[in-house]
This record gives sequence, C-alpha cells and structure tokens, in this order.
Amino acid sequence: MRISEVLKWVLLVWLGAVIAAAFFYVRPAEGFIGESSRIVFFHVPMAWIAVLAFLVSCIASVMYLKRRDPKDDIRASVSAGLGLLFAVLATTTGSVFARIMWNAYWNWDPRQTSIAILLLIYAAYLALRGAIDDPERRASLSAVYAILAFVTVPFLVFVVPRIYWSLHPDTIINTRGANEFDSRYTQVLMASLVGFTGLYVWLYTIGCRIEVIRQRRRQEVL
Amino acid sequence: MTDLMGIMVVTLMIWVGLFAYVYRLDRKVSRLED
Amino acid sequence: MSRLLAEALAVTAKDLRTEFRTRIALNALGLFALTVLAAVSYTVGPYRIAAEDRPFLLAVLLWIVIFFAALAGLDRSFVKEEESRTAPLLRLAASPTAVWLGKLGFNLILIYLLMAILVPLYCILMGYSLVLVGGFVLILVAGGFSLAVITTIVAAIIARALTRGALFSVLSLPLLLPLLIFLIQGTTGAADGTAETVANSLRAVVSMGGIMTVVSAALFPIVWSD
Repeated sequence: MRISEVLKWVLLVWLGAVIAAAFFYVRPAEGFIGESSRIVFFHVPMAWIAVLAFLVSCIASVMYLKRRDPKDDIRASVSAGLGLLFAVLATTTGSVFARIMWNAYWNWDPRQTSIAILLLIYAAYLALRGAIDDPERRASLSAVYAILAFVTVPFLVFVVPRIYWSLHPDTIINTRGANEFDSRYTQVLMASLVGFTGLYVWLYTIGCRIEVIRQRRRQEVL
Repeated sequence: MTDLMGIMVVTLMIWVGLFAYVYRLDRKVSRLED
Repeated sequence: MSRLLAEALAVTAKDLRTEFRTRIALNALGLFALTVLAAVSYTVGPYRIAAEDRPFLLAVLLWIVIFFAALAGLDRSFVKEEESRTAPLLRLAASPTAVWLGKLGFNLILIYLLMAILVPLYCILMGYSLVLVGGFVLILVAGGFSLAVITTIVAAIIARALTRGALFSVLSLPLLLPLLIFLIQGTTGAADGTAETVANSLRAVVSMGGIMTVVSAALFPIVWSD
C-alpha cells in the first residue's frame, strides 16, 4: 500500500480513538456543567480548521494574483468551501455548548462574534464567486476580496475581545482556564486537533482534484 | 453512563460513515484521473 | 505626485457634478437615513430608554442608521460608470490610483455630508447627550473615513458582477461589522464619559482604517484594470 493509503486508514483509527477517548478516557473537566466539556474536543478543532482554511484560501489568493495560475484559484475556492463547512460546524457545536453552560444558544461574546463574522466572510466570498461568470475575473476579484477579508481577522481575534471586556465583562466566556488542569484533557485535545487537520488536508486534496477534473472536462467540451 | 455510551456510538457511526463516503469519493476521483 | 492629486480631484469633481445633476446617491442616502430616523424617533423617542442604557443603545441605533444609509448609497460611484458605459473612458483618462482616490474622495464627501445632517438631528430627536463631544467628533471622522474606504473598494469589486445591489451589502457587511463594533463602543464611551474606551476604540478604528486604505490602494489597480 502506498503511504497516502496508509495515512487514510490511520486517520480513520486516529479520529475513532479520539472520539472514544473523548467519552471514556477523560473525566469531565472542572468548571463545566455536566459532560459539556466533551464538546470542546470537537468544537475547538472545527473552529481551528475554519480559520486555517481561511488562511490557506488567502495565501492561495495572493499566489493567484502574483502568478495567475488557475490552480491557485482552485485552491482558494476549495479551501473556502471547506472553511465554510467547518465554520458552520464550529458555530453549531459552539452554540450547543453555550446553551448548556450559559443557558443561551447565542450571546455575542467575542469568540461567538468572531466565528459568526468568519461565517459571513465565507458566505460573501462564495456569493461573489457565484455572481461572476468570466473565470479570470472571478478568480482575481474573489482573490482581492479574500485578502481584504483577511485584514479584518486580526482585529476580530485580538482587538475585539480586549475592547469588549471593558463594556461587558460578564459575557466574556473564558474556557481556557478550565483546560489547563487535566493532562489527559490536553492530550486528547491535541490529538483531536491533529486528526481534524489531517481530515481537512485529505478533503482539501480531494476537492482540488475534483475541480481540476471538472475544469479539464470543460476545456475538452470547448 | 449509558447516555454517554449512546452518544459515543452515534458519533463513531457518523465518523465511520463519513470516512467511507469520502474514501469512496477518493477512489472514484482517482479512477477519473487515470 | 501632484499629477496624481490633480487627476483624483478631477474624478471627484466630475462625480460630484454628475451627482448633483441626478441626485441618486444623495436621495438614497438621505431618504433612507431620514426615514429610519423618523421611525426610530417616533417609536423610541427620547423617553423610552432607561437612563443607564441610553449611552449604549442610542449609539447602536445611530451607527446602524449611518451604516445602512451608507450601504444604500455608496456603491453609486462605480455602478454609475458601468451603467453609463463611461468606465472604459475613465480607465484611459486617469491612472488607477487616481481613480481610486477620486472615488474615495467622492464617497468621503457623501458620508460626511450625511453625518453632518443626520447626527445633530439624531441627537436632538433622540435626546442623546454626550459627555465627550470632542471624542465623539473624532469617532465620527475616523469612522466615516474607514466606512468610505471599505465601501469604495467593495463597490469597485461588485461593479463588474451580476447582482450588484444585493452583492454590495453582502460583501461589505463582514468587513464593516468589526468597524461597527469598535464605533459603537467608542460612541458609548463618549456618551458616558469614559475616555479610555474612546481612546481604545479610536485606536482600533484608525488602525483598521489605515490598513484598509493601504490594502485598498494596493489592490484597486487589479480590480479596476480587469
């Protein structure tokens, strides 16, 4: 078996083990209500992938504007699609978590706000792509938008929480503190992060290959 | 305890199902490429 | 450098002249803002909100009106070029950066004009009293500038797309939301007198506006010369 084949099966076992461990290897963490801390093992990696996918999309966009290689545009759009998927998953798991912990599905704390805006950015990017017919124009305009959108991300991640604190200290949800305790907890969380990243990479490569085939088909028809 | 077991089983099933779907997709794409 | 400025000013002047002839953007902005203001003032008025909530809620409403008015009218500068088929001529007549500066100038004038009329009216009708008026003005200036910068580049992007109107709002909103958050917080601080909040918010707005300006200036030629 080739190495890529082996890796896929490793991924299956890896994430399977993470799921089992999330439920039976770790005890529920302190500071969390009931078993809700277990959601974190899935929610945090999903959010991480949503941001990573966006980063990949932006780098591909910059590359496209530099060398005008259609493959870069494919990379940008595939990653954006995956990013949207993971952002939706992260938002959903996050709001389930928020419901358990603070009795409200949504309360606009900085982190929820950030993921919501990331969701909007993805949706806007894909809407833009959908609205332009000409492939080259679509590629360059969406690349420009991806870069513009990326500029706002550091502000969301770093500045908004700090300003928020002074106005709404009671709504700041700080789950980081609870994570420092159990070493098992961090082990499983790290393992989950690695596993999800592997899943993203796999989906990303498949997506790019599909797009390349689709474009090749279109060329052949023409 | 059994509730937790139930959620875990469902999650595992979702994961295995998802994996199978993506794996088959991967195979199909490989075939189309060659 | 002066050539650039001269071209830019010419673009702005041309846009202003066209605008005053047809008044489409002014109507869109003005009508929207005044209608919403009337509605809010009628339903909420100066008395309905409790004193401790006033700084925050009135800040929220004010910026919502400003932002949505902006979304209603600030895409005109580029859409009009596409509609009247004058875009190719403009591409020949002026350098891309000059066009960008000129359009930005036009949008700045529109936004500041809107604010000059809307903000005092709003404060009077809603009974919005602000402690740090100087800080408030600074926030308005910085916020208006950042708003204009972002909407200008987005307008350029969507001018060449199919479903322009809806797309303009969809694309602008994610970029404007962080700005909106900062501006609301700063205005709240100006209303209840916490200078530190105002300073923090101003810093965020100015840095965001600054980075957006640089990035827009760099990316505009790509959007324009497509």
